[in-house]
Amino acid sequence: MFVELAPLVAPAEHVAVEAARPPLARRALRALPPFLYLAPGLACLLVWTYRPLVEAVQLSFYRWNLLPSRPKIPVGLDNYQQVVQLPELRHSLWLTVATILCLLPFSVLLPTIISLLTRRIRGRAGVAYRALVFAPVLVPPVASAAMWMWLLDPRHGLVDRMIGHPVNWLHERGPAQLAIIGITGWHLLGFAVLVVTAGLANINDEYSAAAQLDGATRRQITRWIILPLLSPTLVLLTLMTVLLSGQLTFPLIDALTQGGPDDATTNAYYLLWEYCFKSFNAGLASAAGLAFFLTFGLVALLLVWLFEKLSFHDN
Amino acid sequence: MAVSTPDAPAAGDAGAPPPGQYSGGQHDGRNRDDGGNRGGGRHGGGDHGDGDHGGGRRWRRHGHRGHGGTGGPVGGRSPLSSFAGHAVLAVLSVACVFPICWMYATSLRRPGDIYDTSLLPWPLSIGSYRHAADVIPIGQMLVNTFVVASLTALGQLLTGLLAAYAFTAWRFRGQRLLYLLFVGTWLVPFQVTMVSNYTLLFRLGLLNTLAGVVIPTLCTALGVLLLRQHMESFPKEVLEAARIDGRSSWSTLWTVVVPNLRPALAALGIVLFINAWNEYFWPSMVLQQANSMIQLGLRGFLGGTEGNDWGGIMAASGLACLPIFGLYLVLQRHIVNAFVHSGLK
Repeated sequence: MFVELAPLVAPAEHVAVEAARPPLARRALRALPPFLYLAPGLACLLVWTYRPLVEAVQLSFYRWNLLPSRPKIPVGLDNYQQVVQLPELRHSLWLTVATILCLLPFSVLLPTIISLLTRRIRGRAGVAYRALVFAPVLVPPVASAAMWMWLLDPRHGLVDRMIGHPVNWLHERGPAQLAIIGITGWHLLGFAVLVVTAGLANINDEYSAAAQLDGATRRQITRWIILPLLSPTLVLLTLMTVLLSGQLTFPLIDALTQGGPDDATTNAYYLLWEYCFKSFNAGLASAAGLAFFLTFGLVALLLVWLFEKLSFHDN
Repeated sequence: MAVSTPDAPAAGDAGAPPPGQYSGGQHDGRNRDDGGNRGGGRHGGGDHGDGDHGGGRRWRRHGHRGHGGTGGPVGGRSPLSSFAGHAVLAVLSVACVFPICWMYATSLRRPGDIYDTSLLPWPLSIGSYRHAADVIPIGQMLVNTFVVASLTALGQLLTGLLAAYAFTAWRFRGQRLLYLLFVGTWLVPFQVTMVSNYTLLFRLGLLNTLAGVVIPTLCTALGVLLLRQHMESFPKEVLEAARIDGRSSWSTLWTVVVPNLRPALAALGIVLFINAWNEYFWPSMVLQQANSMIQLGLRGFLGGTEGNDWGGIMAASGLACLPIFGLYLVLQRHIVNAFVHSGLK
């Protein structure tokens, strides 16, 4: 609060005292208020996001084990060389990409189909469905890890009892990867359905009505009118999947598999965390983090560009 | 946006805002789309999606539809497709809710009946809850989590409000760049900034404190983005009038802007609270002792029992979800709205 009070006081007294100053200074003073309002948020961003980003760049040229008493040893481009060469990094990157691709059916494909099938359902029933479908979004990730661990328990879990033979879901490679993707998908699905439903509702019915008058079939209308108009929403969901997949999967991996079995679920984000806080290799973690950041940042920018391009459909 | 939108055609029919309504929003060429949408949306049940541009015209169409009555969506309403829709949604709803129900069902069984498979636990017992409370200090952890989530949400609201106000009430040099600086934080993953933030917290002596969890998260791009969009819809004339009346920008913010933004602030506050409640990565780094926040305690519990104490674990998980589900039961519609809206931005 104290910081925020400053803008009120400061300009008033300055203007009174310095009225005789040249107009340039006064103009500068008059330009000040928005920056004062921005200051708290901006300070936060600079200290906790952009300063660390710069520091990560510096750190990526050093070897350091996070202990303040130990010196940072400059190693040049060694860390980056390791990033390119380490097989586990490459493996984790592929795993991350594969995870994102496997999540897309949950966050884009299924929601689109479901929303198209159900767009006519409104009123009280619609509200009830939405309320239920949305619930998984709200579950704290570790709680969902716990509830799924119980459902997937090899001896007494409901899933194995239903399929009839025990699968050790979290301790075998394939099943563990499936489980992580499935649970993340469970978190995402309801939310994505609601986003697509909202996107559909924003599409004007008149286009379809006009096409219908011209003799278009329902399939043609869906394919050539609804889907193109919906595409910005779908791109947005893809973007969200790319940006959030790490954040969504981390708690699940940490609680359910710890990256195992045999690194089968160690995705890029989990690996970075391991480098940093298990093997205490801050330099390598920074270099790898920056490499991933640039890769996924480029993908994200591409998607943003695509979104902007597609968004003008409805003009 | 969001969830009110499926009902939006009805809203449009009932009271399509007069065409003049949106003109207030079109104060500025560059933000015409946003402004137009916002301006209408506040009256029409919050109907402003991202996929929709050229907001003003849309209202006229809606209004037109109301009078002309071109009928419902294409193909009319056949009972068969409606049935299929209900079936799909019912299956989906069960798939989404079942794990949660199962968790509560397990937690309410008598400790001897844990491996029962009946969906309704009977006889009920709170034995698992009592057991979980013996193993980990659930009450204390819930209080801690609540404090952290509330402070985080409040701080994010405040910084977001001030920044959004700066972006809407003034035009200044570097505005676009600064705005990009805020939005750009979306792209920077936690894993890149964690080392440096961790060492800074260490130097500040904030490791292992709740303050260390809250302080680094006090500003979020989401808050700035959403509040700015809401403020853009606010008529510039009112701000101008307040300025001519001799009000300082500070008092205009609190006496004019904030009272009008109350619904948006409340919705955003809830989203931020829930996000903060569910945050795991950062607290798990800052807080070494496991029993300080509910998810960390749960994680310790889960790892400590090697999965043989399902009653207790489900009880603890159920309690971790409970405050949020409570909030959700009361404010269901608003929360879904706010989340989907924030997702669209």
